Amino acid sequence: MNYEMVKRLILKDWYLQRWAILASLVGIVATLGIIATGGKVAFLIGLILLIMVIISIGAQMAVATIVTERKEQTLPFVMSLPISYREYTACKIWGNLIIFMVPWLTMVVGSSGLLLLSPSSRGLLPYAVIMSTEILLSTCLILAVALITESQGWTVAAIMVGNLAVNGIGYLVAHITGIAKGMWGATIQWSGAASALLLGEFATIALLLGVTSFVQSKKNDFL
Amino acid sequence: MNGLSVHLEGVSKIYPHFTLDNLSLELPTGTIMGLIGANGAGKSTTIRILMGLVHQDKGQVHVLGRQMPREQAAAKLDIGYVSEDMRLYGSATLAWHMKFIRSIYPQWDQPYSETLLRRFDLKPQQNIKGLSHGQRVKAALLLSLARRPRLLVLDEPTTGLDPVARQEVLAELMAVLADEDRTILFSSHNTLDVEQISDQITFIDRGRIIASDNKETFLDRWRRLRLALLPEAVLPKLSGVVEVGGSGRLPVLVTNRFDPAMVSACNDAGPLFKLSTR
Repeated sequence: MNYEMVKRLILKDWYLQRWAILASLVGIVATLGIIATGGKVAFLIGLILLIMVIISIGAQMAVATIVTERKEQTLPFVMSLPISYREYTACKIWGNLIIFMVPWLTMVVGSSGLLLLSPSSRGLLPYAVIMSTEILLSTCLILAVALITESQGWTVAAIMVGNLAVNGIGYLVAHITGIAKGMWGATIQWSGAASALLLGEFATIALLLGVTSFVQSKKNDFL
Repeated sequence: MNGLSVHLEGVSKIYPHFTLDNLSLELPTGTIMGLIGANGAGKSTTIRILMGLVHQDKGQVHVLGRQMPREQAAAKLDIGYVSEDMRLYGSATLAWHMKFIRSIYPQWDQPYSETLLRRFDLKPQQNIKGLSHGQRVKAALLLSLARRPRLLVLDEPTTGLDPVARQEVLAELMAVLADEDRTILFSSHNTLDVEQISDQITFIDRGRIIASDNKETFLDRWRRLRLALLPEAVLPKLSGVVEVGGSGRLPVLVTNRFDPAMVSACNDAGPLFKLSTR
């Protein structure tokens, strides 16, 4: 594996997507600001906007760096460089994850900070961590579908599925006894159910990325 | 692999509606080879296989002594590749592309890239999306040439250009190629483009190589015989005629095995008048 080339290609995607990354960071800080104002309506609006911004940047990255690269025929330019398809796949997986981690971590740290600063909302922290990881999982699903299919249609379908999954799983998780019990309390109650869910999410992410790398390694035609 | 920049042996690739069939090809180092064929003949598939972008189902491919597709990353360090379906990043400038390529290829020749900028009349600070198609082709050529590749692979670089831009690109390319010895594989469905640049020509048709030889031999062998036939004359049957065109008393024969005896045979066949043999 030529890590130097992988690094250069990740930096290329970072440069080409720099405005989208910056816009997402501004959006996240702004929505956290709305939440911080304290009202119930502001909390709900801020939360909806925050989820919208973070899902959008994950989807945007996968579409712009993978699907559009094929659609706008810049893939032959990339593949003319001294890389193998294995390195291309590594660059796209790690590049998308690293870039997504910037707004995602901003969101996780910011929202956790807000919850910890407000004594009455501390109980929401386990739920917030589980749902943040679910958004990361949805982004990995979109990334996997984009890489494997290289199709705009399938990627849009994955974005819709990922978006619906965040809502559906959010509802289900909120009704799991071990999590629902302490959600509205002033103390953080980290239950076994929360740990199991978090572990399951990370295992699914690892499985998704592993399967993606395997499928990509079996491809014979890249253009 | 002594003396061969490209060596394909018994290469096959099967698609549902197209088969590249048992292709063997040798490109000696220092040669400019034109790969000619109609659209869909298999030129791009052949080039993608030798670039490692498509894996062959059968056969051996060596490029610059590297086995493809296994060693494609190492091989591509010495290959400049421009294809008709290749685009640069529209939102970035040519200067950014040059910097990006320079960071990858240690052999990048900065003074030469600046010479090419002037020769191609390109502005480095201009965004790629603001360039015409001809300028984009020139930009892609610049990025390939300035990395000083041992092998240059050009897959239909003039396709889609209007006649003026095509002539411009070809003229610039020929001027650049005159600089020094290079090994080049140039594909086109336009025989004139290939004729201007190549010193060896390979014809590919429906996934098979039908002929490969040096340009002079081809030009010597391929002739168009324009005849004027008198009413009572009968067109003789000639071997090596691949196409009979024209109309009625003004037939045009195309041969790929021209022999001066063909002209004599035509003259002996009756009172017909040879107009030209090119």
